[in-house]
Amino acid sequence: MSNKSEVIATENLIKTKKRSQSADVWRRLKKSPTAMIGLAIIVLFLFMALFAPLIADYDDEAIKMNVRERLQPPSTTHIFGTDEFGRDIFARIVWGTRISLFVGLISVSIALSIGGFLGAIAGYYGGRLDNAIMRVLDVLLAIPTILLAITIVAALGASVLNLMIAVGVSNIPGFARVVRAAVLSVKDEEFIEAARAIGANDFIIIVRHVLPNSMAPIIVFATLKVASSIMGISSLSFIGLGVQPPTPEWGSMLAGGRAYIRDYMYIVMFPGLAIVMAVLSLNLIGDGLRDALDPKLK
Amino acid sequence: MSDKLLKIEDLVVQYITDDGIVEAVNGLNITVDRGKTLGLVGETGAGKTTTALSIMRLIPHPPGKIISGGIELDGMDLLALNEQRLEKIRGDVVSMIFQDPMTALNPVITVGDQIAEAIMIHQKVGQAQASQKAREMLEIVGIPGNRSNEYPHQFSGGMKQRVVIAIALSCNPKLLIADEPTTALDVTIQAQVLELMKSLKVKFQMGMVLITHDLGVVAEVCDDVAIMYAGRIVEQGTLEEVFTEVKHPYTEGLFNSIPNIDDRKEKLKPIRGLMSDPYNLPKGCSFCDRCDYAMPVCETEKPPKIYFSDTHFVECHLYRDQQDFKLKGGMK
Repeated sequence: MSNKSEVIATENLIKTKKRSQSADVWRRLKKSPTAMIGLAIIVLFLFMALFAPLIADYDDEAIKMNVRERLQPPSTTHIFGTDEFGRDIFARIVWGTRISLFVGLISVSIALSIGGFLGAIAGYYGGRLDNAIMRVLDVLLAIPTILLAITIVAALGASVLNLMIAVGVSNIPGFARVVRAAVLSVKDEEFIEAARAIGANDFIIIVRHVLPNSMAPIIVFATLKVASSIMGISSLSFIGLGVQPPTPEWGSMLAGGRAYIRDYMYIVMFPGLAIVMAVLSLNLIGDGLRDALDPKLK
Repeated sequence: MSDKLLKIEDLVVQYITDDGIVEAVNGLNITVDRGKTLGLVGETGAGKTTTALSIMRLIPHPPGKIISGGIELDGMDLLALNEQRLEKIRGDVVSMIFQDPMTALNPVITVGDQIAEAIMIHQKVGQAQASQKAREMLEIVGIPGNRSNEYPHQFSGGMKQRVVIAIALSCNPKLLIADEPTTALDVTIQAQVLELMKSLKVKFQMGMVLITHDLGVVAEVCDDVAIMYAGRIVEQGTLEEVFTEVKHPYTEGLFNSIPNIDDRKEKLKPIRGLMSDPYNLPKGCSFCDRCDYAMPVCETEKPPKIYFSDTHFVECHLYRDQQDFKLKGGMK
């Protein structure tokens, strides 16, 4: 019996020790005030996205037109005012957070999984395969990201799904390059050779030994890319190729309100601020992570 | 089953680069008996590590290539096996200990998981069982089992080398290749690690190829010694034969390069010159331009193999006509 409690005791000891590495990064991240500000803002946005139904009613406040209350300045009933159709801007921003963060995260996941896979095998195997993959991706990279996304949406048609695909695909070359560079820097380490010497196959080596050791630049790049994807989504929606009205989205809110900017600037100011805050906070976190993950700055 | 665990015959390994062909191993012959330890001695660049990697079939290709020869391990022809079969053998039948324990462990995986990984690759056991076995392996190499969940950076150099040994031995290999296992450690730890390896060798009843440039380490651990120079074995014999009846001028040079513990003020007598350029090995004996005994024939003809006993041979022209030729000495 006492043996068992001993085992549990060691198990607990283990848990605290296992977390040590991420705890180390967190400790260093906490030292950076800008990163913490960014983190606070993005947590706020995440809460807004998660609890949107509790904050504002989708159909009643964010979608339904209410001509009698149109173009009202910020007040206690509508803290960000109302737009040209009498919809509550605050409610629309809250619901827009869902779309922006969701599409941003999904498109980065698409880019990370496809680009990461291509970059990993290109970097690991090298030679002809590397050349073939990277030259194709170089061609993609030569086309400006937003132009590529516009082309894809134009070809597939405007919808949230196509938006994610468009932004995701246009980010693939960037991710492939970052992952490939990271893989190249660790694949000649001696512990990779040691892993091969215990009989590990290529799959085990890539998944368990190469990728975990090249995580730092990939995490930083992904964080920054979520920010630029949110920007891209808003841009596409602004020019009418992204989320279609009346679905609340920050970019399309900007587009809808720009005719009224002279007299009712709050219609574009608040969605614009939302975009700026989201992008800024992710960039601050990305920069903070870059410093926190860099072992040389310990 | 023959009593030969490892048999390498006429192995030739070259690195084919843009600058030319590096002749790393040139017709190497060694055998290791079951449960015995062979010391492979030579200076930097003699082809020791290339030999070790050939046995693992881990020569980086390109540029490295096994040109000809045969490697037989436990009755299997290693050069005929495909990659899948080799993966089953590596870590299971033959394991390798790398020179630098600081870089041979994955920094982001706990040491316990790294040992367990080797076990799970080769044995059909679950995670829990493998972790349990990993802890036992740590205990065997003298590290408390409850440290299995720590990361490599929490260990000292000597302990890391113990972990590396634990990984290598986790599947009970028949042959262990130790590539300068103590070079990166300081002397006090060296002695501990050697002692550990000696006891584990007996415990696991495995054959071992110990690669080193330290004759002291050889005297401590090995049964047989092979002296390697420029990709060839120039002298081989049992520990006693090589240490008491030095035959090859190069072996003599190695012994003269060891400080004398009785007379600390005595100057060392290093071997003059450098190892010959592996891009362009001389036609005759590779050692002739550094050899104090060199004769005209050494420059033009490859030296023959001359046997003094069943186990002891030397590749040198000096003994071709007079078997009882004596080196000048300087031996202590």
